[in-house]
Order: sequence, then C-alpha cells, then structure tokens
Amino acid sequence: MIHKKYLFVAVIAGTVILSSCTESEQAPGLEYMPDMYRSPALEAYIDYGSNKHMDLTQEEKDELGVVPVLSRLPVDGTVPFMGSNEMAQFAMPYPLNNTVEDYERSATEIKSPLLPTKTNVERGKEIYAHMCMHCHGKEGHGDGAISKNGHIAGIPDYATKLKELQAGKMYHTITYGKGLMGQHASQLNQLERWQVISYVQCLQQGVSTPEYDANNMLKLKVEAAAADTTK
Amino acid sequence: MRLSTILQHRFLVSIFAFLFFAQYTFAGVFEGGDATKGETLFKQNCASCHSVDGSLLAAPSLQGIDSRWAGKDALIVKWIQNPNGALATGDPYIVGMVAKWKGQFGMMAAQAVSEGDIKDIIAYVKTGGSAGGPKASDAPKCLTLEEIEAAKAELEGDDSGYVWFIIIGLILSIIAVSAANIKKSLATAVNERDGLPAPADRTYMQVAKAWMWTNKKFVGVLGFIIFCYISVVGYKSLMGIGVYQGYTPDQPIWFSHAIHACQNEIDCQYCHSSAAKSKHAGIPSVNVCMNCHKGIKKGAISGTKEISKIYEAIGFDADSSKYIDGYAQKPIAWNKVHNLPDHVYFSHQQHVTVGQIDCKQCHGPVQMYSVGHVATPAEINAQEDVTGLIKLEKETLTMGWCLECHNKAGIDPTKSDYYEEMHKRYKSNEVGKRTLSEIMEDGSMTVRENGGWECGKCHY
Repeated sequence: MIHKKYLFVAVIAGTVILSSCTESEQAPGLEYMPDMYRSPALEAYIDYGSNKHMDLTQEEKDELGVVPVLSRLPVDGTVPFMGSNEMAQFAMPYPLNNTVEDYERSATEIKSPLLPTKTNVERGKEIYAHMCMHCHGKEGHGDGAISKNGHIAGIPDYATKLKELQAGKMYHTITYGKGLMGQHASQLNQLERWQVISYVQCLQQGVSTPEYDANNMLKLKVEAAAADTTK
Repeated sequence: MRLSTILQHRFLVSIFAFLFFAQYTFAGVFEGGDATKGETLFKQNCASCHSVDGSLLAAPSLQGIDSRWAGKDALIVKWIQNPNGALATGDPYIVGMVAKWKGQFGMMAAQAVSEGDIKDIIAYVKTGGSAGGPKASDAPKCLTLEEIEAAKAELEGDDSGYVWFIIIGLILSIIAVSAANIKKSLATAVNERDGLPAPADRTYMQVAKAWMWTNKKFVGVLGFIIFCYISVVGYKSLMGIGVYQGYTPDQPIWFSHAIHACQNEIDCQYCHSSAAKSKHAGIPSVNVCMNCHKGIKKGAISGTKEISKIYEAIGFDADSSKYIDGYAQKPIAWNKVHNLPDHVYFSHQQHVTVGQIDCKQCHGPVQMYSVGHVATPAEINAQEDVTGLIKLEKETLTMGWCLECHNKAGIDPTKSDYYEEMHKRYKSNEVGKRTLSEIMEDGSMTVRENGGWECGKCHY
C-alpha cells in the first residue's frame, strides 16, 4: 500500500515540475488568430517587421520593396486640422526663429490670443500639472522633484526672477526651449501653450489657485491678450 | 643724496606696506569667499546653465574661472551684473567669449547678485562642487535606488532555464542510444566467441516494445505523468490564448518608470502626451527624452550607459552639449507591451479625457516597476492611491475584463460635456425620458447602460 502512495506523490510532483517551465515574461503569450492582430491597413505602433529591417543596408531594403515605417513626420508645409475655423489660428506656423534676436523680439511681437477665462486658466492648470510641475514645482518656485533630487538645479522662480517675463517670451521658450529647458512643441499644441501660459501668469503673481469673477474671467490682472479671438 | 635715499626707501616701504594690506582691504572677488553660502547662491542663480565640473550644460562651465578672469575683478562683477554693459567696454576677453558661445547658448541674462555674493559663488566654484550630484528621493512611497538596482540585476540574471533541460535531455538520449549500440555489439561479440548465432537484428521500436512489456508498471506510471502533463499544459495554454498578463519584454534601453514617474514625479502624460488626444497613449519620441537629458547626462543606476543610447539615437554630443549636424538619426525600437487585437477598437482619449479614468486603473502601479509590463488584476486591485478604483477579477486586457469594468464603472456626466448631447437626446422624447428614469433608478448610470456592452461599440 505504501508503494501506491509513493506512486501517487510521484505522479503529482512530476506533473508540477514538468508544467512549471512553460511560461516566460519575455513572451506575450499565444494569439488567437494572428492575422486578426495585424490589420492590412497600417496602424501606429504595430510591429509589421520593420524593426527587423532597421539594420539592413539600402540595397537590401530596395530588394524587399516597401518597408512599413509607422512613425512619420507630417509632410512639409501641412497644417494640422484643429476642428473648426476659429481653431485654425492655432495651427498657423510660428513666425519667429530659434535665435537670440528672435527671443528678444518675441517679448513685444507675440501676444496671447486667449482671454484669461476660467476654462483657459483651469485647463492651463491641468497642463501645468502634467507638463511643468516636475521641474518648476507645484507653486512655480522652481522646486519640483527633479530639482529637489539634484538632477537639474537653479530652476528660476516665476514669482521672483521671472516675475516680469512677458507672455511672448514664455511662448517662445515653450516652442523652442531655452537653456536647459527643452522644446515642448511636440507635446503641446499652440492652444495648450497659451493656456498653460495663462496659468503661469497667475503663478508669477504668487497665485496658485486663481479666482474668477461673475463673468468667469480671471480676477487677477495679467498681461493683456492681443484680441478677443475665441468668441 | 642721503636724505633722498632715505626718502626713496620710505617710499618703497610704504608701497610694500600698501600692497601688503591691500590684500586684505581691497581683495578681489577671487579670494576669501564663503563656499557654503556660495553653493546656495550658485544653485539659485547659476546652476540652470553653468556647471562647476567642466561639463557643458546650457553655457560654458565655470571651472577655472579664477584663472581665466585673473586680474579682472571689477570686470567679472560687471559682466555678471550687466553682461551687455560689460560687452560694451570692448574688453578683448569678453568679446572673444561672446563670439565663441553666443551662437550656441545665447547671451547671459543679467544676474541680481552683489559683489559679496559673487565672491561666495567663486569660492564655491573653486571647490569643484564636491557636494553635488543626483541623490535619491526621500519620498517613502517610492522604491529606493538600491531596490531598483536589485530588481534590475534580477531581471538581467534571468536566463531561460528550460534551454538547459533540453540540452541535458539531448545529451542523455545520445548516451542512451550509444550505450544500446555498445551493448548490442558486445552481445554479438560474446555470441561469436561462444559459437552461437548473432542476436536477431531488431529495430529500435522492437527493442523499445520489448522493454516496455518487461517494465509495464514503470511505463504505466510514466505514461500517466505524461498524460497529466499534456492535459495541464494544454489546458493552460488554451486558457492563455489572448491573455498577456505579466508580459515584461526587455526593452532596448533600460528605462525605469520607478525613477522617472515616482522619484522624479513626472506625470504619465508628460511622456505619453497623446493619451488625452488620440487613440494611442504614444511612446515618446527621442526629443521628449532630450527635454531633460540634455542636462542630465548621468543616471543614478546605470551611469552614462543607458543615457548614451538616447544620444546615439538622436545624434547628440554630450561633451560639447551640441546636436551633431547631418547625423543619420536612428529610431529606438521599443517593444510594444500592451496589445489589443485589430478587431477591437480602443481609444485612450475616450477613457482619459471623457471618462477621466486614472491610468493606474488599467495599467496598475507602473511607478513601482522599472520595466513596463501588463499588470495582473491582483496588482491593480491592491492599489490604495487611486480614487474610485474599480476592482476587477478577469485577466487584464481580455474582453471579459473590459465588460466587467463597463458593467461596474459609473458615468459622471458633469465631468465632460461629451455627455450633454446624450442627456439632451434622452430628454427630448417620452421613450427617452422613461429609459433615463429606468437607468437612474439605482442612482447612477453605468457604461453598460450607456451602450458599453453593445458589440458594435468596440467591434466594427
């Protein structure tokens, strides 16, 4: 009888040991009908084998024919469609270049097209939390986590050093970057850039929770917008 | 003559005395500052562009400033306080310096520091910034650098063990076959010596069969084990079709979410900025990496090893802090972790912008891991820092999982004006009004009640 018990234990142990070596974190698992995962129409971020082709020489690529490349830049001279005619102004090219002279020019030549409405400033606050806070800090004192952890030091405080910084210069800086700050044009469209600037203008005056009047306009006085173009 | 000599001596002595005391009374900015005060001042005013260790950030390094500007004490003060004014003096050193660097970095801004401050800053610069460098965040919620490093080592040491099983199995079977051959030739040789006929030439199959007949019990047990094994593995692999839970592919760059998202508090949407605007959350292009890594050239764990891969991709020379002209940029081939079949439509924008779902609801505590992976329901449900977390049981990224959430998740129409139109249409007629009151009987509207379980919602 002992004999049979041993047999039973052996069967269980053998099964467990044999079946434990089949899963790997490196393998995604089985696909149900693989051709249903990759559509014939090219979709972003799907590997159609182009990664394998990256190390090929030009002749080898020519031999293969078209190798799908999924992350492409927009065609030169195209303007993004922003949804409506009013929004088209935010798709226009920025007139200044990434030079020292144009940075100075931006102070007077570039004006915000947005009024400091509640929608704009509050959206700006959200964008600030996503895009700016880890360096510039919650209240804009230049004390974000990256600064506190000692990776980038000396990020200027909006409320003191950058108190007088004009909106145009901010816009220029977000578009092209300045000093150690990189350009954020690929992450923020023009509308979002102006919205976040409208919130940074509150931080310049030391206000991190802005208040609004009965018309949903910012109570704080900030640099005037160029024109009321959003209505 | 004598008198004049004496006078001359006195004159010289007085000059020496003057020079001797002048060191203390009219000392320049290069001597006698307070390095501790200087460090604070440096970090407040200079560190966003200048380094003290000779590396280029967004301006030349201040290392060796005391020898480069030696003897120009008044001028350096003027340069720092009013660069344009100092340039207007036409000093050849300043003119040369501006000509050399202005194209790359632009003109320095005037700094509101006093002469005493400058003295302290220079004293700090001369120490070479001994107490600088990255340090770990002290936030308790994050993994420490040591823990991240240990996890990385574990990941790198993780080789697939089953390959060795296969190799050992092959070696054993080769040995078995050769042993059988040797046995056979020995038997033939023995029979030959004894004058007996050679043993019958049996095939391997016949030998195996004969062996199995003589060892029935062993074969039976082995057969049962193999049957169980095949059943279990078969069942598991069938159940695992289309389930990607726990998938953690190696990536071309050892990027750590634990360092970026937790310690440095970078929001998910900083890098995955298209999550709120498009179907895809997006993998950041290299220029987004460069927004920070233009200045941060050394990581806390891998040093320059991993960061240099970004520079190689985009063509950035870390020593001169310049992009290389005409560089053939190479894309970084990240491995896609979360994948849905082509026959299901999923949009991040709908969930992030309209539904206001926290990223962690579906992706789990990404900030606690280095390498991105498909979270398991256990990981997702264990999170405590997500407001309104919906606990789900089905396997992540399966259809059952989607439906489970659509059945439980409530809609808050005030969160987005997307629902305004829907609300208007419900209220426009009697049937709509009745439906709405039925839906709102339990006080909330779930995604399912808004059509989230309709086939055509996701499959079209």
